[in-house]
Amino acid sequence: MNIVFPTLRNGLFGAILALSPMLAAQAKTPADQLIVGMSMVNLFSIDPANAPGLDASGINANLYDTLVKRDNGNPERHVPQLAESWTVSEDGKQITFKLRSDVKFHSGNPLTAEDVAWSLYRVMKLNFGLATTWKAYGYNLDNIQASIRATDAHTLVIDLPQPTDPLLVIDSLAISPSAVVVDRKQALQHEKNGDLGAAWLVTNEAGSGPFTLSKWSANDSLVMTRFDGYWAGPAKMKRVLVRHMTESQSLRLMLERGDLDLAYGMAAPDIKAIERSDALQVQALQRGTMYYVAMSMKQPEFAKQQVREAVRNLIDYQGIDQQVMPHYGTLNQQPMQLGLAARLPDPGYTMDVAKAKALLAEAGYPNGFNTTIRTLSEPPFIDIAARMQATLAEGGIKATIVTGTGNQVYGAMRARNFEMIVARGAERYPHPYFSLRTFVYNPDNSDAAGLPNFQGWRASFFNQQLNELIDRAGVERDADQRLKLYHQAQTLYDKQVGPIMMISQMTDTAVSAADVKGFTGDDAEATRYLGVYKQR
Amino acid sequence: MFVSTASVLGARASGTARRASTVLVTLLGLLALTFFIGRVMPLDPVLAVVGPDADSSTYDQVYRAMGLDQPIWTQFGMYLNDLLHGDFGNALLTGHPVLEDIKRVFPATIELATLAILFGILIGLPLGVVAASNQGRMGDHLARVITLFGYSTPIFWVGMMGLLVFYAWLGWAGGAGRIDLAYDGMVPDVTGLLLIDTALARDWEAFTSALRHIVLPALILGLNSVAYISRMTRSFMLEQLSQEYIITARVKGLSRRQVVWGHAFRNILVQLLTVVALAYGSLLEGAVLIETVFAWPGFGQYLTSSLMLGDMNAVMGCVLVIGLIFVALNLISDALYKVFDPRTR
Repeated sequence: MNIVFPTLRNGLFGAILALSPMLAAQAKTPADQLIVGMSMVNLFSIDPANAPGLDASGINANLYDTLVKRDNGNPERHVPQLAESWTVSEDGKQITFKLRSDVKFHSGNPLTAEDVAWSLYRVMKLNFGLATTWKAYGYNLDNIQASIRATDAHTLVIDLPQPTDPLLVIDSLAISPSAVVVDRKQALQHEKNGDLGAAWLVTNEAGSGPFTLSKWSANDSLVMTRFDGYWAGPAKMKRVLVRHMTESQSLRLMLERGDLDLAYGMAAPDIKAIERSDALQVQALQRGTMYYVAMSMKQPEFAKQQVREAVRNLIDYQGIDQQVMPHYGTLNQQPMQLGLAARLPDPGYTMDVAKAKALLAEAGYPNGFNTTIRTLSEPPFIDIAARMQATLAEGGIKATIVTGTGNQVYGAMRARNFEMIVARGAERYPHPYFSLRTFVYNPDNSDAAGLPNFQGWRASFFNQQLNELIDRAGVERDADQRLKLYHQAQTLYDKQVGPIMMISQMTDTAVSAADVKGFTGDDAEATRYLGVYKQR
Repeated sequence: MFVSTASVLGARASGTARRASTVLVTLLGLLALTFFIGRVMPLDPVLAVVGPDADSSTYDQVYRAMGLDQPIWTQFGMYLNDLLHGDFGNALLTGHPVLEDIKRVFPATIELATLAILFGILIGLPLGVVAASNQGRMGDHLARVITLFGYSTPIFWVGMMGLLVFYAWLGWAGGAGRIDLAYDGMVPDVTGLLLIDTALARDWEAFTSALRHIVLPALILGLNSVAYISRMTRSFMLEQLSQEYIITARVKGLSRRQVVWGHAFRNILVQLLTVVALAYGSLLEGAVLIETVFAWPGFGQYLTSSLMLGDMNAVMGCVLVIGLIFVALNLISDALYKVFDPRTR
């Protein structure tokens, strides 16, 4: 019912829309305000210490600032933001940032190095999911204040507690949602029971970004107003208004009527129909997140390499890419994002039923076996799973699809309680090291270790040699050597037939009115509206 | 005389006490059921807070902070204790106290459901009466087609079609949301009912915008009530019209119109009250589909999103409110029974 009804309804409505005359878009939104339509159902905290969701990143990118940002998406090159310059010590154990002196928070308080150090301490102290980024570098509650400190109002010194490539830390300061700088005085004014302002910051902001938060009504609307005192000059739009809309067809109608300037999260059939319109523009935004099929190596079948290889031979990569994934993703078979220098070309996996059957027979399953595929009951997940079910059956593996909400599906995987899963994860920004850590690395395969932040652990995949290669890449400062290590890791993962098999790299689509200019999508939806304007 | 008044008062007091205790037991049962079902549902509210990639220490910390490490009875006891102190807890989705959230989202639904039920009554009642008094003829068949349409077409689909025709093609109705975003937050929030707030502020442009936005979803939402109310009216009327007193009235020379409206219709008012009250109650809690299509930030959406997250504080708060609505509607319709039906006094 869950699957069939929306499909029927979308199909019917799409057909009627297709038969209807093209609706003339009328520029009705105000020239100095950007009206955005998107689902805000996953937006329930904008506290930088606990706002892991993509939607929250998109909002916080406009309310807060970071020390540095990536140079055109390159994870190894960064450009100044709040930090004017930075130096790395000879031994690679210390980074010193010089901050701009002209930055003020929305409250009027000057932004100092003390605020930066306190913001990172706050993330560690509150210990939500985003603290994991900093724990991975060896920071903990005991050492973070001594390691990340202000030596004067505009100088921040960061010591690296364990051998780490400083470039990784600089990159995390550019891209982690928890790396934004919070107004310490403002937050502490709203502190309750020593929570460092946590309760208040869930729905309020204390940033220095190009916009201030004027109103946020959960699952309704959110209004951001231009901050005229922004250090890089005021934004062109006076206000950005976001309306919570979950229905793709409602978004499409409002775009076509000119009541919306920009929409995210539209369904593929609506995007396809809109591509022909002159009044609207469609932008495909490549994200770092990957769609994958994973197997649990706790299951005796999948613990066998031949079975995993058989499954790999039963995935119709090309069919899924061409028939299911348009507007959702781009074919990617490596555990690393497209466009990265460290990424090897796709190994060229294709569907080969005969080979799969031979491998299954070799593994002792000449007649296949029964299994389950957990997945979300929404496109493209359910479509990938349905296709997998059909192709696995060709090899003799009878899979039952078990659908659920994200919470249920990922919850089962986190608890290592699954057989197969079609899911999406986990890196927001493309990065060779973090991708490998997410999908391949697993420092301790015991249940007791409790490492659900590593997808490798969730799938019970453990390979010491791979762990070592990734560890070495994380401390290697020579770019060429690093590249070699990344290549070796990918080759080895391919040979080991890792249980997490990449299918596609996520693309998202933003549809906007033709007069909206200066909009550039960000890898992780952390899109800033600073330079957006309307050409009228 | 004195004794008899006292005994009447005493009987009333005990009746009220009995009713109050029934209401309390009903609400408590409702809460307990929701609470325990919520705990066995395979939904993890901790994951909603920490995100799917959090490590175990973070997960455990939040798990404990939410009191989930306590035995389930203790959790329920703690919840009831907080409730008695007027604390519904905080919602995961918004970070606000649940009561505050409900106060914010409920007016949107009340406004929508009230217009919808008015539409349901204004169309449904006459339609039912006309159908009954023309049984088997053209009027009856027409009414049947209309009610069949109201019952059988998916409200979601009608909503999308309504948007396409009246908003996108004809431009008569406003699009999604309660008001054009340009007016959002421009008028002071007095009642939470935008039509009233904009009128109080004498901002007629905003009022027009709010009106343009609400008419279409309210009409579509009301369609189902039209069907329900007209079917029930028809069947009540048919029953009355076959009674002997109707024939007597006709024989005495009263016009058909006088008999239908003055006699038969008056006699079904009491039954209709229950029908309307129930229809209104279900509109208040069940407008989620239309709220989704029209991006209407109401109670139904709030409850559904909370349920999907496993946000039990919000779900329990909503369930309690729904329970109270039905109790209140029952009480009101009981009170009105006494107005319309002297026998129940």
